[in-house]
Amino acid sequence: MIRIPASYLGNRIVTLVLTIFIAATLIWIIPRLSPVDPAEIALGRMAAGAGTVGNSEEILAQLRSRLGIDQPWIVQYVRYLWGVVQFDFGLSTANFPTPVSALIANALPWTLGLMLISITITFFIGNLLGALMVWEHSPKLVKVAIPAAMVLTSIPPILSALLLMWIFSAKLQLFPLTGAYGLTVEPGWTWDFVQSVLYHGFLPALSIVVVTFGFWALGMRGLMIGVQGEDYTTLAKAKGLRPRYILYRYMIRNAILPQITAFALKIGMLIAGQVLVERIFAYNGMGKLLYDAILDQDFPVIQGVSFVIILMTALSVFIVDLIYPLIDPRIRHGK
Amino acid sequence: MTILDINNISIDFPTSKGVVHAVSNFSLSVPQGRRVGFIGESGSGKTTTALAAMRMLAAPGYVSEGEIHLHSLGDTNVLKLSDDEMRRVRLKKIAYIPQGAMNSLNPVMRIENQIWDGIVAHEGRVEQGELERRSRTVLESVGLPASVGQLYPHELSGGMKQRVCIAIGVCLKPDLLIADEPTSALDVITQRQVMQTLREVQETIGAGLILIGHDMGLMAQSVDDLAVMKLGKLVEYGTVRQIIEDPQHGYTRQLISSVPLVGGESFIKSAPAVLRGEAGPLLEFDRVTKRYGEITALHPLSFSLDGEQPKIISVVGQSGSGKSTMGSLMLGFTAPSEGRVTFRGKDINRLSTQDSLTFRKDVQAVFQDPYACFNPFYRVDHALSFPFKRFGLSKGSAHTRKAMEDACHAVGLDPTLVLRRYPHQLSGGQRQRLIVARALMLSPKLLIADEPVSMVDASLRATILKNIHDLKDKHGISILYITHDLATAYHVSDYVMVLYHGRVVEAGPPKEVIGAPQHPYTRLLIDSIPWPDLDRDWGSAEEAQKGLEALAEGKAADTVFRGDIPGFDLSVRA
Repeated sequence: MIRIPASYLGNRIVTLVLTIFIAATLIWIIPRLSPVDPAEIALGRMAAGAGTVGNSEEILAQLRSRLGIDQPWIVQYVRYLWGVVQFDFGLSTANFPTPVSALIANALPWTLGLMLISITITFFIGNLLGALMVWEHSPKLVKVAIPAAMVLTSIPPILSALLLMWIFSAKLQLFPLTGAYGLTVEPGWTWDFVQSVLYHGFLPALSIVVVTFGFWALGMRGLMIGVQGEDYTTLAKAKGLRPRYILYRYMIRNAILPQITAFALKIGMLIAGQVLVERIFAYNGMGKLLYDAILDQDFPVIQGVSFVIILMTALSVFIVDLIYPLIDPRIRHGK
Repeated sequence: MTILDINNISIDFPTSKGVVHAVSNFSLSVPQGRRVGFIGESGSGKTTTALAAMRMLAAPGYVSEGEIHLHSLGDTNVLKLSDDEMRRVRLKKIAYIPQGAMNSLNPVMRIENQIWDGIVAHEGRVEQGELERRSRTVLESVGLPASVGQLYPHELSGGMKQRVCIAIGVCLKPDLLIADEPTSALDVITQRQVMQTLREVQETIGAGLILIGHDMGLMAQSVDDLAVMKLGKLVEYGTVRQIIEDPQHGYTRQLISSVPLVGGESFIKSAPAVLRGEAGPLLEFDRVTKRYGEITALHPLSFSLDGEQPKIISVVGQSGSGKSTMGSLMLGFTAPSEGRVTFRGKDINRLSTQDSLTFRKDVQAVFQDPYACFNPFYRVDHALSFPFKRFGLSKGSAHTRKAMEDACHAVGLDPTLVLRRYPHQLSGGQRQRLIVARALMLSPKLLIADEPVSMVDASLRATILKNIHDLKDKHGISILYITHDLATAYHVSDYVMVLYHGRVVEAGPPKEVIGAPQHPYTRLLIDSIPWPDLDRDWGSAEEAQKGLEALAEGKAADTVFRGDIPGFDLSVRA
C-alpha cells in the first residue's frame, strides 16, 4: 500500500474546501444578479392560487423576512454559507415551505442510482469497444462500431430518449413510459419494488448509455493507437505473450489511465446532462428537480442542486487524486 | 552448427505510391554461439530483416519470397508457422532486445512481473517461489541487484532498463538473440558496460546473436561476423576482421571512415576566421550553481568567453553529468540557483523586453532531436522565414528568399529541393542541417549546440559538424558544443571541458584533454569508446564498473587544467 503523506493530504483537502467555497459563493452571487424578486414570485404564485391578495405590501415584507432577503447582503451571505455547511439551503419557494434539503434528499438517490449504473456501464462498454477497435485480433465486426459510435455520440440524449420511448414503450410496449417505479408498489426494500425500479430505470439508463459510450470509445481508441505504437507493446509481442494478455495488461492497462480522470470529471457533468432525460421519463431525480426549479424560478432549489453537482465533481476529483498513485506507479504524492 | 538460415528473402511494403522493396534477396546463416552484426544506415533494411525472422514486420510489410529456417524446430520454415506456433517461438527460441529500452518496459508493471509473464506465457503455471528464484538469477546475471525486480521501470536509469531487457531476453535461454541497437541511447561508459554484459550472458547461454547497429567501432568490439547492408541489399559479408581490415565494397569503406577517431589531425580543415566577432566578453558564468532539490546538477563554475576570436568550446560528459543543465542555463531556460549568467555584460535572467528579444536573436540553439524541432504543419520555408521576419531582419520577400537560399547553400542543401517541402518529407540529417541554417539566418553571436549529431546517421555526422564548424570560420559565430562524443569534440573544438557530476574535472585544448587524458574520468571515457580496431582491448563490464566505483570513492577530485587558449578563461573556484 502507498501511504499518503499528511502534507499532501492536507494540501488536497484545502484545495477541495477552497473549490467548494468558491463555487458556493458563485452560485450565491449569480441569482442575485437577476432582477427577479423571489418574494414577488411567491406572492404572484399566491395571487394565482387565491385570485386576489389583499395587504400585499405586508405579505411581501413578511415573505422577505421569512426568506431572509431583507437583511444586508453580508448577513445573507454568512447565513447562506453557514447553511451550506449544514446542507441547509433554505426553503423552496415553489414548494413553500418544504426545505430544499428534503427535496434533494428525495431526489438524489434516484439520480445517483440511475447515473452510477448508466455511467459505469457506458464506461466499461465504451472503453472495451474503443480498445477492440484498435486491437489487431479483434473480430472485423468491431470496425463497424467506429462510425456507429460517432453517429450515436452526436445525438442529444433527449432524442435518444424519445426514440427509445417510441420504440420500446409505445410500439413494442416492453417498458413503461414514465416514472421511477410502478404506481402499485410500495417503496421499500422489497423484491417487487427493486424489480419495478430496475424495470423503470432500464430505458432512461439505456438512452444515456447509447449516446455516451461513443465518447469513451472514441477517446479510448485514440489512446490505444498511442499505446499500440509504444515500444513496450512491441516487446510484449516479441516475448510471445498471449494476445489477450497483452491487450489487458499492457495496452488497456496503460491507455485507461487518462480515461479514469475523465470519468471523475464526468460524474458531476452527468447530472446536468441527465436533466432532460429525467424530465422526459418523468423520473423523480435531481435533473427533474432542477428542471422544475428553473421553470418556477425557485432559486434556493437551483442553488442546492448546483451545490450538490459541484460537491460531487470536487469529491470525485479529490478521490481520483488520492488513488491515482495506486493505478499509476509513476505518479507519486508530492512532498 | 547453424541455428538460423535466412534463405533468399525479399520484403515488400505496399504503399499508395507503389511497392517499396525494403529487402531484396537476402541470405545469411547464423551459427550457434556466434555473433553476427548487421550494419547499415537507417533505411538499409537491417532491422526489417531481423524482425522478419520473428515474424514481427510492421504492417503492411510482408515477406514476398524466400524462407527462414530455425534448426531447433526441425528446420521448419518459420514463415509457415501458425500464429500461435510463432508466438511460442518468440522469446523461447528467438528473443528480441529492443532499441528503445527507455520505453520498452510496461510503465505500470514491476520489473519482476515483466520477467515472469514471459516465463509463464511459455511454460504455463510456474510456482511463485520458482519464478522469484529465476527472476533473481537472471537479474544477477546481467549485473543488477535482485531488488531491482521490485521496482517500476521509471525508477531505473537507461542503462539499467537496457539490462532488464537483456535479462528478459535471456531468461528462457533462447537459441538466438536479436539485439536492435541496444546501446544507441546510452553514453559511452554505459554502452561499454551493457554491451559487455550482453556478450557475457550470450556466451553463457551459448546462443547466437544478431547485433543491429550503425557504429563500425561498436561492431568491431562486439561481433564475429559482419553483414553490411545498403538499401535492402547485403553488400558485403565476412568476418569482422576481414571487413574492417580489407573492405571490398565502397560503402563499407565509407562506413569505416565515418567513425571519427581520437588522435592525429582534425578531419575538419580549419580555415582562419574570415569574420571577426565582437570584442569583449560574450558569455560569462559568474559562480553559477544549479541545484534541483537536494541534487546539485552544477557546482560553482565561472568562465568567460570572449567574442572577438570566434571559437568552439566543447562540454563533454555522460548523461547526468550536468552538461545539458549548462546549456539550459546559457539559454536562460533555467535560472541559476546561485551566481549570474551574463551575455554581453547583461544578466540574462534580468533582461528588459527589448534586450530579451536581442538576446534571443543573438543566441541560437541546435538541439538533439531534429524530428521534434519543426512544427509539422508548416513547410520548411515558413519555418526558416518566420524568425527572420519576426526579428525584423527581412527587407522584403525577395530579401527573405535570398537569405533562405544562402543559408541552405551554406549547409550544403539545395534550396529548390527543400524549401517547399514539409518537415516529414525530409531525412533527419536534412532537418538537422536546416536547423543550423535557420540559426545562421539570424546571424547570431553564439550558438548552443546540444548533442546536434547524436541522432543522425554516422555518415552524415561529419557533414553536419562541418556545417557547424563553418559557422565559426565563415560567419564569426562562437559555439558551445555539448556532447557525449569525445571523438567529435576532439576534432571540432578549440577548448574542451569534461564534466563529471556537475564539476569540471579536466579542461584545456582537445589535443591535450582528449588526446592525452590525465584525469581518471576522462581516461575512462576515452577507454569506453569502441574503436574500429580489433587489436584494441575494450575491457570487460567489470573493469568499467570498477573504474566508475573508483571515481565515486575519490570524490571531488580537483580539476586538471591542461592549458589555456586566448579568449577563454575558466576558473572553477567557488
